[in-house]
Amino acid sequence: MRYALAEPPPMGEASAAAAAPYDEMIDPAGDVRPHYAALARRVASLSDEDLAERQRLLERFFLLQGITFTVYGAESSTERIIPTDLLPRIIPAAEWATIEAGLVQRLRALNMFLADIYSDQKILMDGVVPRELVLGAPSYRREMQNLYVPHSAYANVCGSDLIRKPDGGFAVLEDNLRVPSGVSYMLANREAAKRTFPGSFRMASVRRIEQYPDLLLSTLRSMAADWRPNPQVVVLTPGVYNSAYFEHAYLARLMGVPLVEGRDLVTHDNMVYMRTTTGLRRVDVIYRRVDDDFIDPLTFRRDSSLGVAGLFNAYRGGNVVICNAPGTGVADDKAVYAYVPEIISYYLGEDAILPNIETYLCREPAQLSHVLANLDKLVVKAVGASGGYGMLVGPHASKAERESFAEAVRADPENYIAQPTIQLSTAPCLIDGAIDPRHVDLRPFILSGDKIRVTPGALTRVALRKGSLVVNSSQGGGSKDTWVLGEAEGQEGPQ
Amino acid sequence: MMLARVADSLYWIGRYVERAEHMCRLADVLLNATLDRTESSGQVARMVISAAMDGELEGELTPYDAALAMTMDSEDGDSVTAALARARENARQVRDQLTTETWERLNLIFLRVTGPKASREFTDAPSQFLHDIIADLHLFKGAADATMSHGEGWGFLQLGVFIERAQLTGRLLQAGFGRSLGRPVTEHAAMTALLRMSCALEPYLRKHTADIQPRLIRQFLMFDEDFPRSLRFATARIEEHLSGVGRNVDLGGAAGPERLAGRLKARLLYAEAETLTGEDSDLLVATVLEECARLHAGIYDTFVAYSLEMRLPA
Repeated sequence: MRYALAEPPPMGEASAAAAAPYDEMIDPAGDVRPHYAALARRVASLSDEDLAERQRLLERFFLLQGITFTVYGAESSTERIIPTDLLPRIIPAAEWATIEAGLVQRLRALNMFLADIYSDQKILMDGVVPRELVLGAPSYRREMQNLYVPHSAYANVCGSDLIRKPDGGFAVLEDNLRVPSGVSYMLANREAAKRTFPGSFRMASVRRIEQYPDLLLSTLRSMAADWRPNPQVVVLTPGVYNSAYFEHAYLARLMGVPLVEGRDLVTHDNMVYMRTTTGLRRVDVIYRRVDDDFIDPLTFRRDSSLGVAGLFNAYRGGNVVICNAPGTGVADDKAVYAYVPEIISYYLGEDAILPNIETYLCREPAQLSHVLANLDKLVVKAVGASGGYGMLVGPHASKAERESFAEAVRADPENYIAQPTIQLSTAPCLIDGAIDPRHVDLRPFILSGDKIRVTPGALTRVALRKGSLVVNSSQGGGSKDTWVLGEAEGQEGPQ
Repeated sequence: MMLARVADSLYWIGRYVERAEHMCRLADVLLNATLDRTESSGQVARMVISAAMDGELEGELTPYDAALAMTMDSEDGDSVTAALARARENARQVRDQLTTETWERLNLIFLRVTGPKASREFTDAPSQFLHDIIADLHLFKGAADATMSHGEGWGFLQLGVFIERAQLTGRLLQAGFGRSLGRPVTEHAAMTALLRMSCALEPYLRKHTADIQPRLIRQFLMFDEDFPRSLRFATARIEEHLSGVGRNVDLGGAAGPERLAGRLKARLLYAEAETLTGEDSDLLVATVLEECARLHAGIYDTFVAYSLEMRLPA
């Protein structure tokens, strides 16, 4: 069976010369890459009905588990499953080794950076990162200054977005250090894939990811004070109407810890307690899935009803630990991002293993004029926005859109950065009963507490619309399982 | 130890699931018993409507419409669909406390009764539709029993089930025999329908043979020791589960709801069942309903919405 290569998506003339995207399964000669061979044979042996049947099985699994998000309409609300693709994405052992080393290096450096800017600010004194860039960022929390964070582990859970460039190398597109989500989809996709392709799965010696909840719990426990022998960990959720609620409940259940809402917690004498049936019970570590702004109405946003009044004071007092620490967002700020390679070499004296995407800071006059002159080739992003909002994809935008965006950039250059339009790699997907390549990215999850651990797996997000480069689930994205293969293919991995 | 909010949700799951099952049976018996136009079918219709709808809609609805409203009305919290939707919404809020097996069962029932094909299925074969929901609810209860830890959370779930059950049986007894509502059932077919509504026909026959009498039915539904829907059985379970979940609560000497539950259990245990007059039975049923309402409030005040000052750590 031969597979069609992805056509280069329709782009403006300016980028016609852009390289064709890297295909995860097919090499440029049109042959199946060796690590995909077994799966390709298996898929080729299945009829269209078999594939459709497996896709139905997969969707039913998600529906039964309640892995849904709610779409609120005028009259009623309906629940939909997150689009999930049948065919796994496969990463060979050697490539993963590089990714893993790169992720560990990056998070070590970013934690050191956070510890530094919330204490002595040496990196600012030395002029490696511009002072106003850090202290002026909206995600910088003055309240965190000189606050003790165990192991200097600020970002306990990190979900970095990686992309594969046309030359086959991986690069970091974004570091998510605030409340990254998606790990439940990584785990649920795996559970589903084991049912849909059990044979291929066994043959491929895929590395295990099911230990993630245990590792998360031990990471969270390692953040508790030493003198609390049996620390009480809880997961704090905004509630059942949050789109990631399934994930919050899923992690709480697999860790065996209570899932609490703000209204379940009270503070008294700078201690945090939860309301149980038998009275109040002390809480030691809060894995919060609520944004900084909303965790404590006394310290941050006053109109928040999701948080707990007095929580931050209890944190300052060392009586409770909040994970991730408030204020980590300053290290994944889109402008600070441009300095991450310098941050790595400043603290670790090493070169970055995973490169950044080339980034232009509009705050620098020279770079601004370059950006304005090349708007039709670049992706321009607002520094504070996320989720695919507040951005201009130059090659896809009309002249009028580019001009109005240029106005906005000129008016407030500090708020914008620009990057070249990158062709994300493509992976085969089952679309309307046929196998067709779609653009994908990669979100691995890194835990840091007493030590840094990377789970050998990831969430692969898929842009399901043909030619689209946007993988966000709010904008027509789906996901698929990601198989990281063990050291020697066909044999047991290093588990 | 469990979160107060979680205990509350588990309690409500128990109540709503029990209610949904009961309403299914009522609707099913109503549809079957009213296929012919006899005196007994009129009695059954009156009984069901007064047990299920507080008698408000009497005379205005055909039996089919009444059954449809009892099953599919998405506004009325007492309808099957609404009760299941609420049970499932509560389950979603405490998803981390339920086993996957238990959750899947409830989710499946919910998807079925709220799915696009539901009203079509009801129209085509209402009895089959209702029967399937009851069977699924039994699967849910079985999965919960077999897979959940029988600890505190289980206790709250069961409290919800049995308080709801005592109230439903009590209301059914009032609808069938209560003097205040007039016209007690007399027809043989209506009396067997009443037994069917509480799933009691076969156990009743085994105990009393086919000797169908109002006095014996009443005795059976109120005082039978082993029948799981009798008032005596339900109140004994309420007392049992309440003393289980209340064991670790320090109320500082104040009386908790356990006292109410113990007294209620004793009332049914030591009542002079054989010689009780109709009037006394009515009074006792009314007392059971009142005490269940007080227990409901007492559980909420003791375990969920307690004042913090009483429970601050020393």
